[in-house]
Amino acid sequence: MSGVRLEELVKRYGDVQVVHGVDLEVAEKEFVVLVGPSGCGKSTTLRMIAGLEEISDGTLSIGERKVNDVAPKDRDVAMVFQNYALYPHLDVAENIAFGLRIRRVAKDEIKRSVTEVAGILGLTDYLERKPADLSGGQRQRVAMGRAIVRHPAVFLFDEPLSNLDAQLRTQMRAEIKRLHARLGVTSVYVTHDQVEAMTLADRIVIMCDGRIEQVGTPMELFMNPANLFVAGFIGSPPMNQIKANIVAGANGPEAVLGDPDADGAAHIPLPAAEGLHAATGQSIVLGIRPEDVLLQGSGEPGGVPFDLDLVEPLGSEALIHGRVGGEPFVIKADTYGDISHLNEIRRFHVDASRVKVFDAASGAALYQPEGALDKARGRA
Amino acid sequence: MSVPSGQGVTGRLQWLLRHFRREWQLYVLLAPTIIWLLLFLYKPMYGLQVAFKDYSIFRGVAGSPWIGFEHFHTLFGSEQFLRALKNTVIISFYSLLIGFPVPILLALMFNEVLNQTFRRTTQTIVYLPHFISSVIIAGIVITAFSPSAGVINTFLGWFGVDPIYFLTKPEWFRPIFVGTGIWQEAGFQSIVYLAAIAGVSPTLYESAVVDGASRWQMMWKVTIPCILPTIIIMLIIRIGNNLEVSFEMIILLYQPATYETGDVVNTFIYRQGIQAGQYDFAAAAGLFNAVIAFVLVVTANSISRRYSRTSLW
Repeated sequence: MSGVRLEELVKRYGDVQVVHGVDLEVAEKEFVVLVGPSGCGKSTTLRMIAGLEEISDGTLSIGERKVNDVAPKDRDVAMVFQNYALYPHLDVAENIAFGLRIRRVAKDEIKRSVTEVAGILGLTDYLERKPADLSGGQRQRVAMGRAIVRHPAVFLFDEPLSNLDAQLRTQMRAEIKRLHARLGVTSVYVTHDQVEAMTLADRIVIMCDGRIEQVGTPMELFMNPANLFVAGFIGSPPMNQIKANIVAGANGPEAVLGDPDADGAAHIPLPAAEGLHAATGQSIVLGIRPEDVLLQGSGEPGGVPFDLDLVEPLGSEALIHGRVGGEPFVIKADTYGDISHLNEIRRFHVDASRVKVFDAASGAALYQPEGALDKARGRA
Repeated sequence: MSVPSGQGVTGRLQWLLRHFRREWQLYVLLAPTIIWLLLFLYKPMYGLQVAFKDYSIFRGVAGSPWIGFEHFHTLFGSEQFLRALKNTVIISFYSLLIGFPVPILLALMFNEVLNQTFRRTTQTIVYLPHFISSVIIAGIVITAFSPSAGVINTFLGWFGVDPIYFLTKPEWFRPIFVGTGIWQEAGFQSIVYLAAIAGVSPTLYESAVVDGASRWQMMWKVTIPCILPTIIIMLIIRIGNNLEVSFEMIILLYQPATYETGDVVNTFIYRQGIQAGQYDFAAAAGLFNAVIAFVLVVTANSISRRYSRTSLW
């Protein structure tokens, strides 16, 4: 098994550059998820690792070996594709055995390996079926079986769950996680689904426009997003972002929504000054997670005014949609089976320790724990 | 939309009426083809009965007396017909054996050509003969094989071979005919397979590349198996049309000296029906040909359905 190292990796199509010097180090046995919106370069980066796209510039190493010019078959990687890439004319056993047959592995060894993999993936009863006779989940398992059977150094997953329905996706997500725990193979997984990224990854790499925005564990990214893009991408519903200005308050810096001199302007206390790289009067964007809001009855004084729009009950919790200072704002609240009181919400409080602060001009985080910015740039 | 079951004839008619009202635009689109089929393929079947009659153009189809299978007895007693049948089977077999794989090979080769300019140029060159009239193609072939000025004999002359009268020698007729057919149609027929190849998911190739397959292995283990359903469908259609040996080209290339190997059922029918005026006898020969073709296509379809899950119906 090996790690994967990307150094200043660049991909150009003619004059158009789509991946701009990506730096990333995937440790041995680590499960790293590349996540980002469509067209952000995550699949192109994965395909460069697989050898399906030529590397325009930079260095790619698998283990200790530079593999820029090494053929895909010699990189010791296996890839699972979004549409499964199963051969329709071969049955399950033949599909799983395809890579071994190509490599002229002995028949007995192929049979033993296929039986073992089928057992791991629960495909033993389907070995003689053609892909057309399988469900989406079973096809996905066969695709994984084809990757596993070769015992590669690195697994590459290109949005493998995108074609499955929501229920099956959740089930397969858990299976992939269990499989990784069992096999411990270095894995690079591409998805545009942040829930998939959060649940599967040891570390998440968030990409946008061909660049890495932040690298970190799921909780690091959730708790300390490096910029507004990451803040808006991780978390469901995404972090609320409202414009504000910093003023000096009695107990430290405060964010004031709207005109700071106006009567009744809402003041939100900011985290303690230590680590806050911002000055009084600076325009900022406040990041407030929907679940970090403390609800407040209509008669209670203080807090942030909230124009309630609608309440979406989701069972154990509800999403309360409204506006703060004219900007959209979502609150996630526990319902305890009753949502009637949620229609009364007109103001709320925010836990200062959980508020995130971003520069309004650059979008960069202004308050980060020590070392978080280094991690954001992919340096462990 | 499924047809309701268990509602009786009235219920089904009502369903059909509702269906027609809702989908009438589709039926309008279908109508020209249906009308063409009825007028040019089904209506002429009325005339097939002359194969069982002593037909006279003065008495007409309906007025001519029935004579049962007499024409068929005569047909199978005719040495000319049996020779034509044998030639038809042999030429069809060679055309199928050699001519059927050529378009597939061409498509596979085009698929492997990476230089787009070279690929387009060669494709145009091999498609071109299809768009040239059979008369001109026959003219080119006759000229090419001419013993006095043909390129083939000129080429052979360089090696000291005396001129060969190819088109008057029975043993050369079949190879020349089959070769001409391949030259004229293989390129155009390859379009179907190229379309099938274009439909193969690129991820199958990418997956094979990651698994370590060479281009040769990808062709054998991915491309060909993936276009196999198309190959089978084309084979079934080809088998159905197999006895319909290119009548025009035979007429244009053969001569009495090559009847021995070149006269086929269709040219036999032409000579008996159009030239000798024996319409009933020619109709019997044509009907026999059609029945054999029907049996062949049904058999091929059944075998294909059983063993490859691919069939025309």
